[in-house]
Amino acid sequence: MERRQYLLKKIGWSLFTILFVLVLNFFLFRILPGDPARAGVKDPRLKKEAIEAIQVRFGLDKPVVNCFESLNPVKLGSCTVNPLETQFFIYVGNLLRGELGISYHTNRPVAAILAERLWNTILLIGAGQILSIIVGVILGIFAAWKARTAIDYGALLTSLLAWSLPTFWLGIILLFWGSANGLPIGGKATPGSSTLPPVQQWTDIFQHMLLPTLTYTIVYMGEYTLIMRSSLLDVLAEDYILTAKAKGLSTFQILKDHALKNAMLPLVTVIAINLGFTVAGALQIEAVFSWPGLGGAIYESVVRRDYPVLQGAFLLIAVAVILANLIADLTYSYLDPRVQSE
Amino acid sequence: MQAIAESSKPKTQSTSPLLTFWRTFRRNPMALVGLTMLIIILLLAVFARQLAPYDVTSSANVSTADIYNPPGGAHLLGTDDAGKDVLSNFFFGARISLIVGFFAAFISVFIGGVIGIVAGFYGGRIENILMRFTDIMLVIPDLPLMVVIVALTKPSLINIIFVIGLLGWTTTARIVRSQTLAVKSRKFVLRARAIGAGNFHIILHHILPLVMPLLVVNAILVISLAILNESALSFIGLGDPTALSWGQMLNYAFGRGAMSAGAWWALVVPGLGIVWVVLALTLLGHGLEQVLNPRLEFHHLEPGRPVVQSEARQPVARAEDGRPILLEVQNLSVDYVTAGKPPARAVENVSFQLREGELMGLVGESGCGKTTLMLALLRLLPPAGQIVGGKVWFMGRDLTAMDETELQTVRWNGISIVFQGAMNAFNPVRTIGDQIFEAIQKHTPILPEDKIEDRVSELLELVGISAEHKAHFPHQYSGGMRQRAMIAMALACNPSVVIADEPTTALDVMIQAQILELLDSLRKKLGLSIIFVTHDLGVVAEMCDSVLVMYGGVTAEYASVDTIYNAPRHPYTQELLKAFPDLSKLDKRLASIPGYPPRLDQLPPGCRFAPRCPQALERCHTQPPALHRLEGTHVASCHLLDG
Repeated sequence: MERRQYLLKKIGWSLFTILFVLVLNFFLFRILPGDPARAGVKDPRLKKEAIEAIQVRFGLDKPVVNCFESLNPVKLGSCTVNPLETQFFIYVGNLLRGELGISYHTNRPVAAILAERLWNTILLIGAGQILSIIVGVILGIFAAWKARTAIDYGALLTSLLAWSLPTFWLGIILLFWGSANGLPIGGKATPGSSTLPPVQQWTDIFQHMLLPTLTYTIVYMGEYTLIMRSSLLDVLAEDYILTAKAKGLSTFQILKDHALKNAMLPLVTVIAINLGFTVAGALQIEAVFSWPGLGGAIYESVVRRDYPVLQGAFLLIAVAVILANLIADLTYSYLDPRVQSE
Repeated sequence: MQAIAESSKPKTQSTSPLLTFWRTFRRNPMALVGLTMLIIILLLAVFARQLAPYDVTSSANVSTADIYNPPGGAHLLGTDDAGKDVLSNFFFGARISLIVGFFAAFISVFIGGVIGIVAGFYGGRIENILMRFTDIMLVIPDLPLMVVIVALTKPSLINIIFVIGLLGWTTTARIVRSQTLAVKSRKFVLRARAIGAGNFHIILHHILPLVMPLLVVNAILVISLAILNESALSFIGLGDPTALSWGQMLNYAFGRGAMSAGAWWALVVPGLGIVWVVLALTLLGHGLEQVLNPRLEFHHLEPGRPVVQSEARQPVARAEDGRPILLEVQNLSVDYVTAGKPPARAVENVSFQLREGELMGLVGESGCGKTTLMLALLRLLPPAGQIVGGKVWFMGRDLTAMDETELQTVRWNGISIVFQGAMNAFNPVRTIGDQIFEAIQKHTPILPEDKIEDRVSELLELVGISAEHKAHFPHQYSGGMRQRAMIAMALACNPSVVIADEPTTALDVMIQAQILELLDSLRKKLGLSIIFVTHDLGVVAEMCDSVLVMYGGVTAEYASVDTIYNAPRHPYTQELLKAFPDLSKLDKRLASIPGYPPRLDQLPPGCRFAPRCPQALERCHTQPPALHRLEGTHVASCHLLDG
């Protein structure tokens, strides 16, 4: 019963946050001055028909929201626009139908462009996350276990240094080094490789993934090491570790059966909170390595001023991060028996 | 003259908090290195105009032949895509990156600080709304949002500063809020409120100073994040084209063929600048955090200090009454060793014998070395603890000479411990049954699992807990139940000796009595030997066979329970007895002993009890008393017995 309430509360908040992002995403692109569709119609050289055509095409002829233009108490009373015909509701309606607009650059539906790219980003982030968590956790365990030894100081300095690296710069350096050593310089696959047999195709993709994943792993393992180390240090100073030792358990048994699960719990939350930062890293890595993912889409749409793609990519990323957070929350509640009774 | 000198003396001795802070700070190499690195780069940025070999602000005298010239000659670090000197660009770039970092962080920390303090201080609905908003902002990925906003506005330096600043406050708000919550119920804040101080006054003068240290550490982190974000934005092409920050340098170099031209210097140099600043800030922040919140000094898996072996005396097999002796402690001494300080003697020259079926009370105030002594028996001392003399014989085997693997077979199987409190003695994320199961399985691995399960149920029933509770977690047990479960776990491997380390503190009186009765009945039923550690003589009066009274790490008195209660010879025992109610003499007043036991690092030169002793003689303050052997096994250390 309590557990169900907890789940419902978490899901409710995630939905609310998604709604917030939706509204934010809509208004950012309506209020801030950059969008050429709106900036363009103010160009005095345009003919009246052309302006109208643009306005109809992008739905700018409709009011933004009900009486948004006339936030004027006198006019509000006579405000009779059908709310369903405002830009906001058209936008929401389109979203519900999976329509994110048309790319200025390629004239293709944004949803189709992003759908291809979402998987590439998930592939990159997935591989990078798994590797950086594994490396970080192992390094953190050794650092905490061998506290205040050379191993500990070494791990600590390595992780602080890794944390301080700008992601895109590390990518550039690795790319510089990799291209000199015969690794592919960017993209997800060598052009024309789609005709090759599947095994070779996968090898090709693997080679392309190597450097981006390595960049990702180095940048994020530092933080996981630090968190694992401090969390495990806290746990190892707990009374129940002394109990376990008094019970005659070996160091390995204590680490495995009593320390790790407890120390991993904070890591779950951090991984979730980190997903936001993670996306920031993916954005930079994809820009450097021309990886065809969502981050790459954001980078390209900025360069090409392709705002529908930018708007769609941001929305998709934000929603994905919110959902990932929700999953982490639920995992945490499942792992830690204390949460359910709170 | 002299009067002035004297009056100014206390002033120099009183340590201001800043000075104490600086003393700790100075000893933290991480913080020092970080601060030095930061100062160096700040100086470079401030004196960029004086230090830079070329004026990069004008494009006069630049020709196409200057593009991507390698380091050396006229250009120490080579030239960039526009033929400008990379080193000079680096100095001026430092200015831009640092300005953006500091100003953006200032905005973030200000907003986060205000939101955090307001939410924490006012609580209620305001807190709820503010923190929900913070949570939402925390989840939204910040760099993509920054990209969107900067892309839709003009990429000028001011815009970038504001966008980074306005989106980077969430962690600050959370940290400040929890710190505000922690300090707002402190006494002097409540007092200020009671005398009618306004909210604003309280926040400014009482809350803010306490939140400040944390805010500073957080600000350092926020600055480094802001610098990283600025460089990423610039790299993506959203930087101010007129302000050549390090990120902008990288954007130009990467976008304009430095890679294919092999101009590594144009790519490496600005990046190293970012790494330098961010690493400096990270080291400083990390070091500061260590200075402000020093961590617990040790953990339980660090290797302990080696036992100092001493001359062994063969253990006595049987006591005078013919009962076998299970545990014999001979002249045990334990030191706590801290680097840079003389070792502190926590237990000195303690001896006792525990017969089969005997219940010994180990009595003394907190800080008298009781727990240290018990942990030393099983070699469970924290890493700073070291056995520096004496022997522990358990059933004819020398525990001080065993290695870790041998010790593991004695722990719990031969001697087990009921820890005090028991709240944290159980692992919170594993069920009680599972943790008892584990102990049995460790020591009797051949037992089939269903037999172990039966044994777990049996043990829980034995201490009065229904077996169905074995699948429950520690937090689902009440305090008394946890203590019982701890006893059940201590009995899991049929140990010969059980050490009960203050098992009833933190429990209410009724439960205390139940636990004591339980221990006593188990002793009789199972023939256990028990060492009962307590600070309360009254608790042990009716159960114990013998009592060891410790004070300041030494044996004050050790005798049978009758002797201790009826003919105590040590003033400390006598004072302790006065401090507990004797129901047969209702008219007597209860007395407490003024003062506290000595700190281990400040032991008095003479008898350790002398400063509090009502009967202290002059020599008590200068000369430690010898351990006097009185009739039978009765021993006491006191100058009054010198005869």
